[in-house]
Amino acid sequence: MSGVLVRRRARPAPYLLLIPAILVLLLGMGYPVVWQITTSFQEFGLAQQFGKPAEWVGLQNYIGLATDPQFWAVLARSIAFCIVGAAATVIIGTALALLMTRVPAAIRLTLQVSLLLAWAMPIVAAMTVWIWLFDRRRGAVNYVLGLLGIDMHRYDWLSNPWTFFLVAGVIVVWMSVPFVAFSVYAGLTQVSDEVIEAASLDGANAWQRFRLVIAPLIAPVLSIVLVLNLIWDLRVFTHFTFLQDAGGKSSEFDVLGTYIYKVGAGAGDFGTSAAVSILTLAITILLSWFYVRQTIKEDKAS
Amino acid sequence: MKKRTISGTVAATAAVAMLALAGCSTTPAPAPTPTAAGPEDITFWLIGGDTPQALRDYLVDQYEEVNGGTLTIEEQGWGDVLTKLQTQLPDAANTPDVTEIGNTWSPTFTSVGAFSDITDLVPELGGDSLLPSFVEVGEVDGKNYALPYYFGSRYNFYRKDLYAAAGVEVPKTLGEFAENAAKLTTPELSGFYIGGSDWRNGISWIFAYGGDLAKNEGGTWKSTLSDPKSIEGLEALQDLYTTSSHAPVTEFDSTPWVNINDNEATGQPEAATIIAPGWAHWSIGDLTPDPADATKTVATWNDDVFGTFVLPGVDGGVAPVFAGGSNIGISAASTHQAGARDLLRIIFSPEYQQMLGENGLGPANLDYTSSLGDDQFAKALAESAAGSKLTPAAPGWAAVEGSGLLEEFFGKVNGGGDIAALAAEYDAKIDELING
Repeated sequence: MSGVLVRRRARPAPYLLLIPAILVLLLGMGYPVVWQITTSFQEFGLAQQFGKPAEWVGLQNYIGLATDPQFWAVLARSIAFCIVGAAATVIIGTALALLMTRVPAAIRLTLQVSLLLAWAMPIVAAMTVWIWLFDRRRGAVNYVLGLLGIDMHRYDWLSNPWTFFLVAGVIVVWMSVPFVAFSVYAGLTQVSDEVIEAASLDGANAWQRFRLVIAPLIAPVLSIVLVLNLIWDLRVFTHFTFLQDAGGKSSEFDVLGTYIYKVGAGAGDFGTSAAVSILTLAITILLSWFYVRQTIKEDKAS
Repeated sequence: MKKRTISGTVAATAAVAMLALAGCSTTPAPAPTPTAAGPEDITFWLIGGDTPQALRDYLVDQYEEVNGGTLTIEEQGWGDVLTKLQTQLPDAANTPDVTEIGNTWSPTFTSVGAFSDITDLVPELGGDSLLPSFVEVGEVDGKNYALPYYFGSRYNFYRKDLYAAAGVEVPKTLGEFAENAAKLTTPELSGFYIGGSDWRNGISWIFAYGGDLAKNEGGTWKSTLSDPKSIEGLEALQDLYTTSSHAPVTEFDSTPWVNINDNEATGQPEAATIIAPGWAHWSIGDLTPDPADATKTVATWNDDVFGTFVLPGVDGGVAPVFAGGSNIGISAASTHQAGARDLLRIIFSPEYQQMLGENGLGPANLDYTSSLGDDQFAKALAESAAGSKLTPAAPGWAAVEGSGLLEEFFGKVNGGGDIAALAAEYDAKIDELING
């Protein structure tokens, strides 16, 4: 046993194989991350952007953020949005995956193709269409609601933060459900029919079968899609930029992504903007770390 | 971001460096019109669609003739150009060689050294005849970095048919303007269509009541939204928006002319009055399908239906509106300084200045203002420009605009917020940015 361990340690091949990946990471991510971290401790404004030497200010950018209620509001909003968005995505995605296992092949194929189309749709095209759908004057949504007898006369979905985030949530969920549905569907195909049958014979109803048998079996898939969606929804930017251009630009409509952009590229305060990015990165790492620890635990247990 | 161009080729860098040196060595002498630097391919950023195609073509042709190189004109949107300028101007590989820049952003960019010193070129480009207020915002320590490109001004367009039907006349005072707007308003029609977050037009009310956005106290700029006069203007605006505009409270950068033209679906306009930059008149009128492109329409001005008037002041006369317009400068990071200077010579040539005026854009060189003609648009432009005001020439003003604080503030005011509390809150926020 100990001999094996010693021999393993001496083997260079695994480490050599890691080198290309690490190099790519260092080249692609290293420089921006290092720049970002340095800048977050500097006073870096437009003048520095045009060549004036940057001054070290220690934690001042971070302290400024910690005492800015607007930042806390943005952070809270972002976290709430990513939790609700990711949960909705995983629930709807899993439901669709279960549906796929039950319907005839033709319907399943139709479902899969529609999901793939939503997944493959370029974001600019998708956003343009969604914004048209919710347009206050000629949008299909107001029109259809009108036909149903709900008076939506010129209702502007994008001018109220609540409906704005509702629309954003619908779009973000719509775009990420396909990924979840396919991943979970792949997981479900690995659940053997015998197990399900045995559960049925023991008198488990559909919900019990899912909760007590299927869900634990596909838990690794569910947890990775959940974490990935949390991370994606936390860093969402493009959707919000498009919606803000169509609707409101004020800070009640900001999430972390647009806030970083507004503070940095808009107001020219790159130092503070870098500090927000670092905080966002920290939250992302925390989320991923939770996931990694979970997987390691599972590996050890099995 | 959305559109990124790499001007110039990498291979040419060495050659360019030599050309730039050659360019420097020739500048001290009062240079004869075209420089001897040789052909250079340059990029010129125009912002928005104000410069008509004919003028763009003229620039490209002339540049080729004078310099021998190719001029590429790239149109940027007003919405995101500020962020692009911040990130691309300092970067030699991505910078436009010459760029139009919002006049109100000039102090910020000139004070951080974004533009080349063109003081030596000024006499040749028009000297003292150039629009002084615009020259000033592009000046640091007596040196010129950005010069006026064109000026515009904002005035009102209205529907004569609707005014007649409602029995209202062109208003003489700002109070009358608001009364009329309220009278014209129906659930389907805005008596005066203005976006709730449209601060560029909204500030006219602050100005009209004698207020201002900021003042310079011994070298330090302070936001003055809480000034009693500013508050008075904001109250009038809030009242006007609430009673007479159906535009969303979040609308900030609108194309109001689509609302004064007949709506294609209903055949009715949605606004009886709008305020817009003068060149908007090209987009206002009876709509007919564009013969060149079936998906578009062309507007033909119809004097029976449409009219213009300048925004009246509180006690009559003319209200001070936001002085629109642009400056122009050579990027300090550009490796094609000589070519960029050639382009400026073309832009400030009598021919081009004349063309600007003929197209309804106030020429930078005031010797050519007669080119604007004497139709109603030219008269309204001249009349409203006379009283117009610039935003504060503070070094941090571009950051104030870029932060979106003004849209936010006006949106909250027009959304029915407590003006005094909001003004105090946003004064504090703006003060953090305005001094750069």
